[in-house]
Amino acid sequence: MSRKVLLVEDDQRVRRVLRLALQDEGYQVLEAATGCVGFEQARADPVDVVLLDLMLPDLDGFEVCRQLRRHSSVPIIMVTARTDSHDVVAGLEAGADDYVTKPLVAKELSARIRALLRRSEASAAHPHHVVVGDLDISLDAGTVTRDGQVLGLTRTEFRLLLELLNADGQVCSREHLLERVWEYGYFGDSRIVDVHIRRLRKKVERDPATPRHVVTARGLGYRLAG
Amino acid sequence: MRSAGGRRWGIGLRDRVTLTFGLLALVLSGLLAVVVGVLVSHYLLDQRQTSAVYETSLNASILRQALAQDRSDVADVLSGVPGNDRTSSLLTFDGAWYTTAVTAGPGALPAELVDLVRAGRPASQRIEVGGAPFLAVGMPVGEHSRDAYFELFSLAQLNSTFHVLSVTLVVAAVVTAAVGLVVGRFASRRALRPLTDLTIAAAAVAGGDLHARLVTDRHDPDLGRLAASFNRTAAALERRVQADIRFAGDVSHELRTPLTTMLNSMALVQNRRAELPPDLVEPIDLLADDLDRFRRLVIDLLEISRDADTADGVDRETANIGDLVRHAADAVAGRPVTTVDDDAVRATLMVDKRRLERVVANLVANADTHGGGCIGVRVHRTQTGVAIVVDDAGPGVAPQHRERIFERFGRGRNGGDERGVGLGLAIVERHVRWHHGTVTVVGRPGGGARFVVELPGPGAG
Repeated sequence: MSRKVLLVEDDQRVRRVLRLALQDEGYQVLEAATGCVGFEQARADPVDVVLLDLMLPDLDGFEVCRQLRRHSSVPIIMVTARTDSHDVVAGLEAGADDYVTKPLVAKELSARIRALLRRSEASAAHPHHVVVGDLDISLDAGTVTRDGQVLGLTRTEFRLLLELLNADGQVCSREHLLERVWEYGYFGDSRIVDVHIRRLRKKVERDPATPRHVVTARGLGYRLAG
Repeated sequence: MRSAGGRRWGIGLRDRVTLTFGLLALVLSGLLAVVVGVLVSHYLLDQRQTSAVYETSLNASILRQALAQDRSDVADVLSGVPGNDRTSSLLTFDGAWYTTAVTAGPGALPAELVDLVRAGRPASQRIEVGGAPFLAVGMPVGEHSRDAYFELFSLAQLNSTFHVLSVTLVVAAVVTAAVGLVVGRFASRRALRPLTDLTIAAAAVAGGDLHARLVTDRHDPDLGRLAASFNRTAAALERRVQADIRFAGDVSHELRTPLTTMLNSMALVQNRRAELPPDLVEPIDLLADDLDRFRRLVIDLLEISRDADTADGVDRETANIGDLVRHAADAVAGRPVTTVDDDAVRATLMVDKRRLERVVANLVANADTHGGGCIGVRVHRTQTGVAIVVDDAGPGVAPQHRERIFERFGRGRNGGDERGVGLGLAIVERHVRWHHGTVTVVGRPGGGARFVVELPGPGAG
């Protein structure tokens, strides 16, 4: 069965051409011209990936992202105009999993989508339970619970936690995490890792300001502690 | 635009002002010295002459009276005449000459002087006796108009006074001229200080620092106007450059959307390449090629126009420079080209990895595309940080093009008719400058070009 992509983009021509190109890559494409429509559509008809333009006429991309995150852990790829603007960090903070920059080509987009979906499935392949400190990590369900409460991690956040777990307490460099979780090479944007680590801490740490589980190794990267 | 006007004459404005001051002082003090010298020497000589004439006439009247009483021994009468500073007296009486001195005989007196006095008129004349200067004064004596009395006064002392005076005046003139030079130097430095400030500010603007301005709160309205005018020019230039950059950025920004449509449509067409009618394959390929160039140009334009948006330090992280260069250079070259010196293996700097990657990638791509192929990238430590050296096998870059090659669309190489030189090296220059480093191109020993990026920092690993 083909993967379903929701394309939230206000420019009709870009929407049309991306639909055609993604369909050519084998995806089923749903379209939304505004943030509100996109949000409603995502709630009504669950999709595998959301492709979200940040510049939307009504509800802007950041807001759509935040609202979607309240209900769903669906992978979100945001489309930004510039890589060095604050948009990237703001979009990631709002809950996006990754970003692409215009002019974007369907092949690159397809590679990003595949990377996001591949890691989402990978977590289901290990039917184990691991306990780290006060965290109970269920590998088969892809969930983390603390005191019996499920912490709503997105798939990407969960996969990031899994990578740190696999390192067995050793330090993981940003480059390593970028490659393993997002399938980026050496020059991937390490801000993606940093923002995801922040998001992860908000969920798994009792006090995100003084993290006990996801610890920073200054200048080197991150490691998981019990 | 550079002017060599000042240099062509070999003498700068400051030197010219100094020299003018010095020359003016020399001319004025020289003129003063000459006037003083002439007036003083005339006055002294006049004084001397007046007193000599007075003394001689006094002695002549004494002599006249003595001779009127006793004519038996004229020589004795002559020696009885008082005389202090006079060297010798001569008397011609009844056709015979008498004298008190051995050195000066009647032959020492000029004939015209003797004739004048014998004709009954007192007279004086400067003469030389045995190389020494004298003033000869003659007075008629007795009833015989043929009788005459002469006295010789030495002018040696007066001459030595003149000598001391002239030496003093010459020294005074030279000292005044020297003081004039010093004052000129000081004045020119003071007066030209705004020019020095202007030169520094103009050089800063030319060097790319468009924020350079002059201080305008001067009391001097002329200099204030100059500074204000310079500042207006610099501000206008800065606005213009920023507007240009913003315009390029805005245009590229607007091109993103149609470019997305075109690139993806083209990808769809190319996915069905096999189904295309044979005579459409070539035009479609041409279109695809140029579309790709267009995409790269837009990406480069966006890259170069957005530098101003990012504050320094925001994107910096610690990176091992050797690793970074190896990743970027080898990936672009498609083969291992990087050598990291032993001393640089552990060198780390705070850099923006993405920008530095573009620097290395663009230099290697430039070497491969325009430099006959990249033949090596080397990373080594320098005294001030780390250097990245990219060598190529091309014809090199002529010295006169070595600055221009880093300008936007600066076409320095090989007569400049190549395509694609465009923005790659300009981006390199901007990104290196963003890191407070420098990039230069030199000749590689053995031919080809060598691009050297020097990044400052401790570099300690």
